[in-house]
Amino acid sequence: MRIEDLPGELLMWVLIASEVLVFAAGITAMASVRLTDPEGFAAAQAMLDGRMAALNTVVLVTSGLFAARAERAAAHQERRAARLFLGLAALGGVLFLVVKGMEYAADMEAGIGIETHPFYTFYFLITGFHAAHVLAGIVLLGIVGLRARAEAVQAGAAFWHMVDLVWVLILPPIYLLA
Amino acid sequence: MEGLTRTWLLLVALTAATTTLAFFDGRVAAALLLVLAFLKARAILSGFLHLKRATGWIFVATVPLGIWLTVLFGLYAI
Repeated sequence: MRIEDLPGELLMWVLIASEVLVFAAGITAMASVRLTDPEGFAAAQAMLDGRMAALNTVVLVTSGLFAARAERAAAHQERRAARLFLGLAALGGVLFLVVKGMEYAADMEAGIGIETHPFYTFYFLITGFHAAHVLAGIVLLGIVGLRARAEAVQAGAAFWHMVDLVWVLILPPIYLLA
Repeated sequence: MEGLTRTWLLLVALTAATTTLAFFDGRVAAALLLVLAFLKARAILSGFLHLKRATGWIFVATVPLGIWLTVLFGLYAI
């Protein structure tokens, strides 16, 4: 096992590890604070719509497939196909943000705000921070798509998979574990 | 079937299993939900981020993840 065995840029792996650690710290803090009021956290969590989160998981993993295909196309110098797949991946990101926005709107309509309960403070901070990463990822996919060079597309796709990876890890504690 | 499609199908299947399991309460369901999260993360790392091609690195990435999810389960099982 050598550093050179890692696919892509080492710096991208440092970023992926850092981001996963930041989200893991946030989730661990939430799970720790939950111990002071498990019933309150469960009641607050029950107000969330898990169906939206499940839909967004399918959207995100599908856009991850497109990002991976873009990476493969760019590696084969098929720039047109790479751009098409990058566009589809970014479209998945936009769809994710639309569903997330609808979810936030429904939450606020139900009277849920960031200060309603400590659970919602974590919920809005963690999912909001993740949504900011999705937005950054969409911009990044657009930038690497301009020239569609293999190394750049690989880095963009790796960032996108990191966003995907974080989502599957934060989903159960935020939406499902009561 | 090529690898990327297989990884995507696995992720969709694991998401479907997660959605089904979400209807159940209790420690066993919680443990299974975290196992499913681990398997999804492993599929992304291995299939989409290509760690299956990097000897030993999938182990380096998934062991800390497994330990963290176990700690998380402990915090929810208390």
